[in-house]
Amino acid sequence: MRLKRTPLLASIVALVAVGGVLNRTAYPIWVSNYSPRVDADISGLQADQLLIALAGFREMVAGILWVRADTFFDEGNYDAILPIIRVVTMLDPKQIDVYATGMWHIAYNFTDEQNRSDRRYIPSALALGSEGARNNDYTYELFFETGWLWYHKIDDDYDNAVDWWEQATERKDMQVARKNILAMAYLRAGKFDEAIDHYEGLLANAQAELKKNPNEFANRQNVDTLEGNLDNLLVRLAQRGNFAIKGGYYDQWSYDTRPPYDVGFSAQVTVEDSKVLRVEGTWGVQPVGTRVRIVLRDRDYASGRPAAMVWARSNQVDLDPEKNVTFMQDGLFVKNQAFFRRVDMSRDPTMYPFSSDNYVVEFYYNPRSGPPHIQDRFGYSGEGLTDKNYLNTEVREGQRVIFASLELTRDQLLRQGEWSTKVPIVRTKGYVATGSRQTDEVINVPGLRNEPEPTE
Amino acid sequence: MNAVLSIAKTTIGEAIRRRVLLVILLIGVLFLVIAPGLSVLSARQNYTVLTSFTLGIIQLTSAVIAIVLTVYLLPNEVERRTIYTILSKPVYRWHFLLGKYLGAVGALAMMMLLMSTVLVLVFKIMQRDASMEDVMRLATAPIFFFVQMSLLAAVAMFFSTFVSPIVNIFLSGGVYLIGTLFSPVFQDLSNNKNLSPAVKGAATLVHTVVPNFAQYNIQSGIINRGPELRSVELYYATIVGYALIYITVFLIAGMMVFDRKEV
Amino acid sequence: MIDWARLANLLRYGFLERALGSTALHLRWYNRIAIFPGGLCLLNLAIETKNLTKTYKTSSGPQSVVKDLDLQVERGEIFGFLGPNGAGKTTTIKILLGIIDSTSGEASVLGNPAGDIESHRKLSYLPEKPYYYEHMTGMEITQFYASLFGIKDRELCERLLNRVNLGNDMNRPISQYSKGMQQRVGLAQSLLNDPELLFLDEPTGGLDPIAHIEIRDLILKFRDEGRTVFISSHELSDVERICDRVAIINKGEMVHQGRLDQLLSGGRIEITADNVSEELSAKLRNDESTVSFKAGRLIADIPDSMKPGEVIDAIRAAGGEVVSIIPRRKRLEDLFLESVAGDNVIKGRKLSKMTDDHDDHVGSGTATTTEEEVSS
Repeated sequence: MRLKRTPLLASIVALVAVGGVLNRTAYPIWVSNYSPRVDADISGLQADQLLIALAGFREMVAGILWVRADTFFDEGNYDAILPIIRVVTMLDPKQIDVYATGMWHIAYNFTDEQNRSDRRYIPSALALGSEGARNNDYTYELFFETGWLWYHKIDDDYDNAVDWWEQATERKDMQVARKNILAMAYLRAGKFDEAIDHYEGLLANAQAELKKNPNEFANRQNVDTLEGNLDNLLVRLAQRGNFAIKGGYYDQWSYDTRPPYDVGFSAQVTVEDSKVLRVEGTWGVQPVGTRVRIVLRDRDYASGRPAAMVWARSNQVDLDPEKNVTFMQDGLFVKNQAFFRRVDMSRDPTMYPFSSDNYVVEFYYNPRSGPPHIQDRFGYSGEGLTDKNYLNTEVREGQRVIFASLELTRDQLLRQGEWSTKVPIVRTKGYVATGSRQTDEVINVPGLRNEPEPTE
Repeated sequence: MNAVLSIAKTTIGEAIRRRVLLVILLIGVLFLVIAPGLSVLSARQNYTVLTSFTLGIIQLTSAVIAIVLTVYLLPNEVERRTIYTILSKPVYRWHFLLGKYLGAVGALAMMMLLMSTVLVLVFKIMQRDASMEDVMRLATAPIFFFVQMSLLAAVAMFFSTFVSPIVNIFLSGGVYLIGTLFSPVFQDLSNNKNLSPAVKGAATLVHTVVPNFAQYNIQSGIINRGPELRSVELYYATIVGYALIYITVFLIAGMMVFDRKEV
Repeated sequence: MIDWARLANLLRYGFLERALGSTALHLRWYNRIAIFPGGLCLLNLAIETKNLTKTYKTSSGPQSVVKDLDLQVERGEIFGFLGPNGAGKTTTIKILLGIIDSTSGEASVLGNPAGDIESHRKLSYLPEKPYYYEHMTGMEITQFYASLFGIKDRELCERLLNRVNLGNDMNRPISQYSKGMQQRVGLAQSLLNDPELLFLDEPTGGLDPIAHIEIRDLILKFRDEGRTVFISSHELSDVERICDRVAIINKGEMVHQGRLDQLLSGGRIEITADNVSEELSAKLRNDESTVSFKAGRLIADIPDSMKPGEVIDAIRAAGGEVVSIIPRRKRLEDLFLESVAGDNVIKGRKLSKMTDDHDDHVGSGTATTTEEEVSS
C-alpha cells in the first residue's frame, strides 16, 4: 500500500511553518547568548577563515591559533603575532585574554633599540580594546585595560581614562581593590569632587562589608586603606589650596602651591649625527623624579597635536601603523636641575622613516603626570607652576603646562645637504648650559648637605 | 513498531562494527586525549583552549560520523539485497526507513557518549578545581551537538533515498555548512535596510525555512565563561522542538520518496 | 474482517480428516479450494497475473522488461519459473512481492493485490545469494526476522533451525557459515510465519551436492505440507525433478506455461534390431522417424506418439531380432533451449539420450547413433 501523498505534503508544510516560528523565536536568544557579537568585524577574514569561522568551529580555531601565538611570543617574533591577534579576535570575540594581551602587546612591545615604544600603534591598541569591551560588555576587564592604556601608556587626556574606568566600575565583577584607581584618574583629570565622592562611596561600602564580616582581615584592610587615601586626599587638597580655589579665597591664605614656582626650563637640541640627537637643558626643580616629555614628529602630521597625537581615532582595528609618519616620544629625566639624553633614532629606520620635510621637537611637562610630592608644589592643574618663557595654558585646556617647540628640517636631522658638514643646533629662549651637572653621578639634594650648591 | 525497533537494533549492531566509523571515532578520542598538550597558557586561557578545542573536536567528529553512518545505510541494504528479505515481510517501507534512522541515531548516541565521557575525564584531570556545575555546563554542549547531528542524519537519510552515497556526502555536508553559515548572512540580509523588500523577503524566507544548524552551537557560552545567558531553558526547549520538527519533516519527505523507489 | 479461509479450515479440518484420513491430503485439498462467504468453492490461485507489464524509460526509449505476462500458480504446487538471464524473472518476482510497481496489468498474490501487507504475513521469500548481518548468529538473525512478524518465540526459531540441520551451529556468527548453511538459515527464516507461499530464488545455487539434495528434499516436504512453492532457478534438472508446473519466459514474454508432463510430451523411442532387411527399414522411414541401416542392423528413432509395439511386431514379423528399446524423453533443457534460443535454435536438435539418471543401453552390442538433421 502506497503512502498517500497529499496529507503528507500538507503535514510537511505545516511542520515547516511551525519550525519557522520556533526558529525566529530562538534566533534573538542565540544572538545575545551564543553568537559572536555584531561588532566583531568579520569582513576582514579570508574566505577559508570565514568558512571555518561561521561553520561552528570558530572558537576551536581561535584557541589553536592563540597557542601558536604564544610560541611566537616566546621566540620574540612580535610581528607574526599581529595577524594572529586580529584573526583570533575576529573568530572568537569573546576571548577576553586575547584582546587584553593583544592590546598590551601592540602598545608596549614594539620598541626601538633604546626601548622607546612605537606610539603609532597606540590608536590600534585603543581600537582593539574598544572593540573587545563592546563585545564583552558584561565584564569590567577590557574597560579596565583600555582605561589603563590612557592612564599609564598615553599618560595624558585623563578624561578618557576616567570615562573607561567609570564604565568598568559599573560592572558587577570588578574587584573592590581595583575600584580605587578611578579616584586616581579623577584626580589626574582634575575632578576632585568626583574623586572625593568616589572614595566616600567606596569607604561606605567597605565599612558595610566590615560590619557584615568583622573577622575578615581583608575587609579591615580595605577600610583602613580607603580611610588613609581619603584623609591624604583631603589634606593634600586643602594644603594645595584646591578648596580655596573652589571657595574663591585662594589669594587670601598661604598654600603649598603659592606662589607659583618658576621651573626655569630651557633646552637645546644638537643633531650630532644623522638621526642622533643630543638633548640637554635645565629644569630648576630640585627633587629628583621629574620627567620632561620630548616628542619629535612630522610638523605637518594631520593627526598630530602638541606633544601628542590624536590617540583615539576610529573603532576600526587596523594593525598597520602609519608607516610614513615619524613620531618619537621619550622622557627626559631630571637630576641636579638638568636633563641630558642622547636620542639615537638611526638604528630603527622602520620606526623613524623621516619621510617628511619638516619636523618639530616639542618639550612638554604637565604636573598631572607627576608624583604626589611634585604635585604638592605644582598642584593638579599647574597652579603652583610657572616659567617665564614657556608656561602654556592653551595646549591643554584648563591646565598650566610647560610647552616649547623647536623646528628642524629633514636635511638637518639626516645631516645631509648643507648640513652634512655643519652641526644643527636649536635652542629654546634663555637656554642655560648645563655644564657638568648632566654627567655628575652625585645628585645634590639641598637641605641634606651643608655644602653650598654647585655653580657653573 | 516491533519491526521498527528490531530494524533499529540491528542497525546499531551493524553500525558500531563498521571499521570506518570506528577509525573516525578513534581519531576523535585521540585528539581529545592530546588536547591538554595545547594548554600552555595562563589558567584562564588553558580553560578556554581546552574547552574550545575538545568541543570542536567532538562536533567535527560527530558530523563526519553522522554523515558517513547514514549515507550508506539504505544503499548498502539495496546493494546486498537484505532489503528484499525485509520488505517481503509485513514491514512497510516507512517502518524500514524509520528503523534505519533510529538505529543510526542510536549508534551516533553511543559514539558521542563515549567521546563525551572522554571529554569530561580530560576536563576533570586538567581542571582539578572545576566544580560539578562546571562539568555539567561543559556536558551540555555535546547534548546539543547530538541533537544537531540527529538533524543532520535525518537530512542525510532523506538524500540517501534518491542519490548515491558519494553525492550524498557532499550534499549533506553542504547543507550542514549552509545551515550553519546562513544564520548570520541571511539574518544580516533580512535586516539590511539598503536592500529591496523582495531580497529581504527572500532572505527571511530562506532564514525561516532552511534548517538552522547554527543554533546548536552553544559552546561559546561554555568556552567563554562570564556573559550572563538569558532565557536558557526557553532556548533549549525551542531548539529541541525545532530539531524534532525538522527531523520529522525530512523523514516524511524521505518516506515519500522511498515509498515509490524502485529498489 | 472475517478470515473465511481460516474459518473454513477449522470447520473442514475435522470433516476432511474423517473423510480422507490424512491431514496432509486435507491441506492439499484445502489449498486448492477458496472459501467465499456463502460457501462457494472455486479453484484458487496462489499467484495470478494478467497482462502484467513493466516498462523502464531508458536513454534509447522505453524498454519493456515484462510484457503482457499471464501467469497462474496454483495453490499447493511447486512451480518453476524459468528464463535466461535478463528475461524478466527477477522483475516479475519483485512485482509480485510489491517491491516494485508494474506499469500496467494486474497481479495478485494469495487473493490480494501484489504488495499487500496482509499477503506478506502469509508468504516468504528467499532471495538468490542472501546476505545477512555478519555480526549476528544464526539464531539472532532468525529471531530478527521473526520479530518482523511480531513473533517473539525463541523456541520456534530453535525448532526451525534444527529442522534445517543448523541446530549445532545456531550460535555461531553467520560470517563463519558456509554457503549451504547460509542458504539453510534463509530457509529457516522463510518458515517463520508458517507461510502458505514461498518464493525461492535459486535455492540450490552454488551448493555442494549434499546440500543440494537436502534443499531439494526440503522443498518437496514443503509441498507435502500443503505449501505453494514458487522457484526461480537455472538448475533445470532440479526443476524437472520436483516441479509440478513450470513457466518459461523470454525477453519478458511468456513462452510456455503448464504441467511438466504435458510440456515435455513428445519424447522418442530408439529401437535397435538385427537381421532386418533393407526393405523393412525403408518401410519404417517417414517424416517423423529417423532410420539408419547398416550391415543388417537397424536403428530406428521414432516419436513416442507412434505405436512402438507395431514397429516391434513388424520387425519380428520380418524375422528381425529386437536388440534394444530405449525411450528418450524430451527434457526440460530441450524445451528451454527451444523456447529461448531464438535465431540460434538448433532446429530439431536430437533429444538427449538419457533417461532419469544414466545413459544406458538395454541389451548387448554396441549401438551406434548418428546425428542427422531432421527435416522440420
